[in-house]
Amino acid sequence: MTLPVAELSTENPIGPVGEGERKKIAGRSPTRIAIDRLRKDPIAVVCFAFVLLFVIIAVFAGTICDLLGVSTETVRASTRIDLVTLMPLKGPPNHGFDPEHPFGVAPGSGTDNLAVWIEGCRTSMYLASVSAILSTIIGVTLGLLAGFLGGIFDTVISFMTDLFLCFPFLLAALAVAPIINERFATDTAKLKFVSFYALVAILVFFGWMGVARLVRGEVLSLREREFVKAARVIGVPTHRILIREMLPNLIAPIVVSFSLGLPAYVSAEAGLSFLGIGVFGRESWGRSIAAATKYWEEYPLFLLEPVIGIAVLVVALNLLGDAIRDAFDPKTRR
Amino acid sequence: MFSFLVKRLLSGAMIVVLVSMMVFLLFFYGPKSPALELCRRDTHGRCGETSPRLEQYEERLGYNNPVYSEYGKWAKGLVQDRTIYIGSTGYKCEAPCLGLSYRDRTLVTDQLKERFPITLSLAVGASLLYLMIGVPIGVLAARRRGSFADKALVSSTLVFSSIPYYLVALLSMLLLTLSTHVFPTVAYHPFLDNPFKWFSGFLLVWLVMGLYGATAYTRYSRGSMVEVLNEDYVRTAKAKGLKDRVVVIRHALRSALVPVVTIFGLDVAFLLSGTVFTEQIFDLDGIGKWGLEATYIKDLPVVQATALVLAVAVVMANIIVDIVYSVLDPRVRLS
Repeated sequence: MTLPVAELSTENPIGPVGEGERKKIAGRSPTRIAIDRLRKDPIAVVCFAFVLLFVIIAVFAGTICDLLGVSTETVRASTRIDLVTLMPLKGPPNHGFDPEHPFGVAPGSGTDNLAVWIEGCRTSMYLASVSAILSTIIGVTLGLLAGFLGGIFDTVISFMTDLFLCFPFLLAALAVAPIINERFATDTAKLKFVSFYALVAILVFFGWMGVARLVRGEVLSLREREFVKAARVIGVPTHRILIREMLPNLIAPIVVSFSLGLPAYVSAEAGLSFLGIGVFGRESWGRSIAAATKYWEEYPLFLLEPVIGIAVLVVALNLLGDAIRDAFDPKTRR
Repeated sequence: MFSFLVKRLLSGAMIVVLVSMMVFLLFFYGPKSPALELCRRDTHGRCGETSPRLEQYEERLGYNNPVYSEYGKWAKGLVQDRTIYIGSTGYKCEAPCLGLSYRDRTLVTDQLKERFPITLSLAVGASLLYLMIGVPIGVLAARRRGSFADKALVSSTLVFSSIPYYLVALLSMLLLTLSTHVFPTVAYHPFLDNPFKWFSGFLLVWLVMGLYGATAYTRYSRGSMVEVLNEDYVRTAKAKGLKDRVVVIRHALRSALVPVVTIFGLDVAFLLSGTVFTEQIFDLDGIGKWGLEATYIKDLPVVQATALVLAVAVVMANIIVDIVYSVLDPRVRLS
C-alpha cells in the first residue's frame, strides 16, 4: 500500500470563484485535514477513547492500584485461598463479589487479579510504544536512505528487507529471546531489565521492514519532484533535503505505520509471554492467560480478564489505526 | 520460463542457506554452553557450568572445533551418511542426516517424518478454507457493494481479524471442546489408518485457522474485485451480452485474484509460524511445537531442522506464487 501524500496538497482545488470567495479558502495541511476527518469519524472517536483509557491506566498504574487498595505483592496464600482446592475463599468463582478484590484473586498464589491486570496493561503499553517508536525510526531512516541515495544502498537495504520478510518471525523470536536472557542476565534485577529490552530488540529487529518499504516507495516518487530538484540545484546539503524537504511529506506513512504497529506489538508481546518467553519480573497479560488456562473449567473469569484486556486494546488500536489510514488517504474523500 | 525458474531456485537456495547459517551461528555461539542441556540430562543435573565433564561433552559434540567445520559436517550430512558420537556411543545417521536430538537422542530425520504430516495437514486444510470461504464471500460482497450486508460484512471481518489469533484459538478450544464438547477432541490420527478419524480430529483446528484467515481474504478479494468490476473490459463483456456469471468468474475474478495470490504467498510464512500457537494450544505434535520445545532446551539440531523446513516452505511458496501469477495474468512474463 502506498499513500500518495503528495496528492493531499491538491485538496481544496481553487475553481473559478469570485475575489470575495477566494479569500475564505484557507490552506490546510494534510495533517490538519486528517485530524478534522478523524474527529468526524464516530468509530475513531470511540476507539480513541478506549485507547486513552488504557494509556491512563498504564501511565498511572501505581496510583490507580493504591486508590483501589490493591497490590501485586505476594501474600500468605492461606489467607486468601483454600489450600486444598486452591480456589479463593472470597469472591469469584464460588462466592459473590468481593469489594477488596474487584477482579477476584488468583487460585494457587492468591495475588490480586486487578493489580496484576493493571500492571500487565502497563507492560504491554510500555513495550509496544517503545518498540513502535524504535522500529519506526529505524524503518524511516533506512527507507529514506534507500530511496534517496539509491545505488548500492538501495540494493543492500532492499535485499535485507526481503530477507527479513522471509524469515519466520516467531521462530526467530523463540530462538533469540532465551539466548539473550541467558547471556546478559546474571541476577533477577538484571533479568527484568534485560528480558524487556531483549523483547523490544527482537520486535524492532523484525518490525522495521514494513515502514522501510513504504517510505522507500514514497521517497522514490518525491525525489523526482520539483521542490526537491530545486533544493538540490540551489545547493542544499543532502541531510537538509532529507530532513527539511522529504520528512514533512512522509508524515502520513509514518503515522499510519506507527499506529498500526502498536496493536501488532501489543499482540506479539502477549503471544510470546503466552508461549513462555516474554518479560520476566513484570506482570504480563500473556503470562496471566497461560496461567489461567488450566483453571478454565472452575474459574473462567480468571482467564477472561486478561483475554478481554488484550482483545479490547488490540481491536481499539487496530480500528483507530485503520481510521487514521483512511483519514490520510485522499481516495476515501467523504 | 526455464531461466526464470533457475534464477528463482538459486536465489531461494541462497536464502535457505543463509537462514540455516544464521541459526547455526546463533546456537553455536549464543548459549553459554550448547552442550549443557545434554550433559545435565545424562548426569541428572550433576553437571556444573565449569566442570570437566561439561568440557568432555563440548569436545564430543564438536563445540571446540571451528564453527565452519561443524557447519560443513552438518551440511555434508544432508547428502552423505555420517556417524554421530555422543559419549561413547555412536549413532548411525543415514542421509539426509539432520543430526541427533539432544533431548532423547533420536534421529531428527525420523522425528521430522513423524511430525511433518501433522503440520502439513494443518497448513493445507487451513489455506484451502482461507481461499474457499474468503474469496467467494469477498466476491459476493463486491457485487453488492454499498448494501447493508456488504457494510456489515466489512466491519465485522475487520473487528474479527483485529483480535489476536491465539486468543481466538484458545477460546474456541476451551469453549468448543473442553466445556461443551461440540467438536471432537483435537488429535492427530494418520490419514492412511482411518481417513474419517483424521478428518474429525482436525475439524475444529481447520475451522478456527480457516475462518480466522478467511476474514482477511474476504477483505482483500472484495477490495480487488471492486476495483476490477469498474474496469472497461468488464463493461465491454457485459455490453457484449455475456451472462453475469461468466463476466464475474471468467473475466473479473481472474485478474482480481492476482493481488490475493500475492498476499497468500506472503501468508505462508505466517501460516507456518501460526502453527506454533495452534499446535501448542491444541496439543498437536507438529513441527511448530517441536521447534518451540527445542528452543527452550537449546536443542540445536532440532531448531536447525525446523528453521530449515520453514525456510524451504516459505521459499517454495513464493516461487509457486510467481508461477501462478503468469497463469492468472497473461501480461506477466516470467523472464
